[in-house]
Amino acid sequence: MVDFIADKWQDILFRSYQHVSLVVQSVLLATIIAIALAVLVTQIPRLRSAANMISAIGLTIPSLALLGLLVPLVGIGTLPPVIAVTFYATLPILRNAVVGLSGVSPTLLESAKGMGMGSLTRFRRVQLPMAWPVIMAGLRVSTQMSMGVAAIAAYVLGPGLGTYIFTGLAQIGGANALNYALVGTFGVVILALLLDAVLLLVSRLTTSKGIRV
Amino acid sequence: MSDATRQVSTVDTGVEDRKTTIRLLIGLPLLCAVILGGWSIWRQTADLDDIEARQLAWGTILELTRQHIVLTLITTAVVLVTAIPAGILLTRGSFRRYSGFVTGFANAGQAAPVIGLIVLLAIWLGFNTRTAVLSLAIYGFLPVLRNTIVGLQQVDQTLVEAARGMGMSAVDVLRRVELPLAMPVIMAGVRTALVLVVGAAAFATFINAGGLGALITTGINLFRYSILVSGAVIIAVVALLVDWAGRVLEVLLTPKGTT
Repeated sequence: MVDFIADKWQDILFRSYQHVSLVVQSVLLATIIAIALAVLVTQIPRLRSAANMISAIGLTIPSLALLGLLVPLVGIGTLPPVIAVTFYATLPILRNAVVGLSGVSPTLLESAKGMGMGSLTRFRRVQLPMAWPVIMAGLRVSTQMSMGVAAIAAYVLGPGLGTYIFTGLAQIGGANALNYALVGTFGVVILALLLDAVLLLVSRLTTSKGIRV
Repeated sequence: MSDATRQVSTVDTGVEDRKTTIRLLIGLPLLCAVILGGWSIWRQTADLDDIEARQLAWGTILELTRQHIVLTLITTAVVLVTAIPAGILLTRGSFRRYSGFVTGFANAGQAAPVIGLIVLLAIWLGFNTRTAVLSLAIYGFLPVLRNTIVGLQQVDQTLVEAARGMGMSAVDVLRRVELPLAMPVIMAGVRTALVLVVGAAAFATFINAGGLGALITTGINLFRYSILVSGAVIIAVVALLVDWAGRVLEVLLTPKGTT
């Protein structure tokens, strides 16, 4: 095991980097999409139930099935994992962003209006900062989930540590099968925990001082 | 931060609002019927080659679906009889102090990729259905455990005290007050586990444990998009129907007056 890791150190680091990079970029994209959708939902309250339904149905679709549907459309390689990870990552953030943004007290928004803020300024300086801790909580859930989805995406030749898990599976009975599977699985778990710690820190630092606990 | 936002930021228990639940209860079967109907029409009219026709024969698909559902149900049963008692135990007496640690661990464990778990256990225990059930059960265990603990902790302690004051024994309080009040959260956890398991059961085929994932691997290996997409569509429909069944159970088992 130690020999295996020492031997493959470069490759493990590179794949870890790919894995985190795929997840971080997809989650960033997902955050933008989710906040934009959530703003739409808070403007038009009738869409709220529809948004909840879409996120419930979306999270039910198994990742292997979604990848299966994507391959004929966009081929194999990096694109299907990016689309799949972004798709799943959007849903928890959307759910939390709707709760967070619509949870902002209307009296606060009205006083902001009274202070002469336009609707964009109100969103940027009052509504978004108030909802931020809840949105960040959704983002953390999304990131944890995305680490697992990204591992599965290796099945369609996506990048990252999932490749090690599938190599382990393909070589079962061989000398290195266990090493590959262990490094792949625990690598993802360790990266997920590290990423979550970073996000917790980011969440603390980006939460406006007045509402920190 | 207000109490309401803190609730959301610590754990999302997955309990849906009433309107969404009702719409999903009606909408999901309709959606599935439309998708399945569309697929059946394609299946009947498509010009399939030998390999496709064999893989997509009605008998084969029904058998794979049966395997998939049986795998899901057995796993869920294993999860229920282990995770709910464990959750109850972790909210009793001196075990209570471990519950924070366990929910934290359960949240972190959610990041473990299920495919890695399946492969690791298969190396250890061999390629068979038992290995698949065990790894899927470990995966589904965490949400049920977490929601059981959270649900029981949410019960208003004054109600528990009132029940004790009325002369109920600890077991009676658990059975007649705490569990009924925690039911919406526990059932949301059970539904989450069902959905996770039915999705992850698609990987069972990687260790020869059957299920609809076979259509996906065959489709990719033989480069037949018709098989691949059929597999994906049927797995998605089965998952949606399992989710729907979970919602029906949730509504039936949640006592009136708790929502």
